[in-house]
Amino acid sequence: MRRASGIALAIALLAGCARRAEGPPFQAATADRVLAAVREPGARAVLVNVWATWCPPCRAEFPDLVRVARELRGDGLRMVLVSADFDETLPQARAFLAENGVDFPSYHKTGDDMMFINTLDSLWSGALPATFLFDGAGRRVRFWEGRQSYETLSRAVRDVLQNGRGTDSTEVKT
Amino acid sequence: MRTKTKRGSIAAGAALAATVLIAGLAAAQASQDAKPAAPADGMGPLALGQAAPLADTKMKSVNGKEFSIAQTQGAKGTLVVFTCNACPWAKAWHSRIVSLGNATMKRGIGVIAINANDPGVVAEDDYPTMQANAKKSKMAFPYVVDATSDVARAFGATRTPEAYLFDGEGHLVYHGAIDDNAKQPDQVKVRYLEEAVNALIEGKAIAMQETKALGCSIKFRSPKT
Repeated sequence: MRRASGIALAIALLAGCARRAEGPPFQAATADRVLAAVREPGARAVLVNVWATWCPPCRAEFPDLVRVARELRGDGLRMVLVSADFDETLPQARAFLAENGVDFPSYHKTGDDMMFINTLDSLWSGALPATFLFDGAGRRVRFWEGRQSYETLSRAVRDVLQNGRGTDSTEVKT
Repeated sequence: MRTKTKRGSIAAGAALAATVLIAGLAAAQASQDAKPAAPADGMGPLALGQAAPLADTKMKSVNGKEFSIAQTQGAKGTLVVFTCNACPWAKAWHSRIVSLGNATMKRGIGVIAINANDPGVVAEDDYPTMQANAKKSKMAFPYVVDATSDVARAFGATRTPEAYLFDGEGHLVYHGAIDDNAKQPDQVKVRYLEEAVNALIEGKAIAMQETKALGCSIKFRSPKT
């Protein structure tokens, strides 16, 4: 009995290690699915980041995003990561998430590009990375195209967490 | 006296109104004749109807010669595509860009591909790789280096690939993506750029003048101060 328990524990540990090496699983998501994730109850601010493994500024920005997510998760920040990798690079994307310690569900963009872009923000050109900040009611309050610093992201999220919503809130088309 | 003054005021008012009217008509005519100023300072994207900014800027092509956008202008228009070597979207669309570009040149529209990326950021975006890509894909149009990234800035270009189609008079008539499916050419539903080219050549209205696709951000060189 004890031996069987030991084997089961070893299998579970190995499975856990394998999962950490592979990274968290992806869910395919259109922009509507991303916005649904934004509006799931329980968050006071939501940061959406669209990235890809082969995008140097995305990779450079990633540690700062994860740092902001970790620091402010307890205050009500939800991070929604959306990979724009092509199917063949999804394994690398999962490994990249694991390397950066991402332990929450993550998404993989699917469907028509133009609809995805314009649903998230009509001002977005489509260039990566792109980051969108929403308040707890799902209203988009900030949008950035290109790499942002830890200070910029942290300050903007803290502002929403403290004030409830940003100063220049805009409704997002759905 | 009062009457005289009143008449004088009426006459002056009429003259002023006529002047304003004439000036307004002249301005309206001028605005129809002239191309709107391009955002040469790089503030915001180039708008439909605007002319290509920095069109006389010479850029080194893969054959060693220098070309400007103005030099590549065709009788029926000019196609400018910002692209690069390394970006997966640029790679995915590369053969379609070359195929469409080569065919479009034969139909009276000049074509130029511009790489504005700093190879210091991604080494694969360097000049020798541009030469190899152009040769391998049998690119028949200039593939040039925007050595300061200023041309891309002036266009307000942000990603690769990003296409700008100008009509024979130099007005922007299409801006955006190549088609609606980078990765799966056999599943393309709308060939945005090809349809715009066809409509321009046939003198028809372009159904979709502005489109978008995800793409790599342009790796701009630092602006010179």
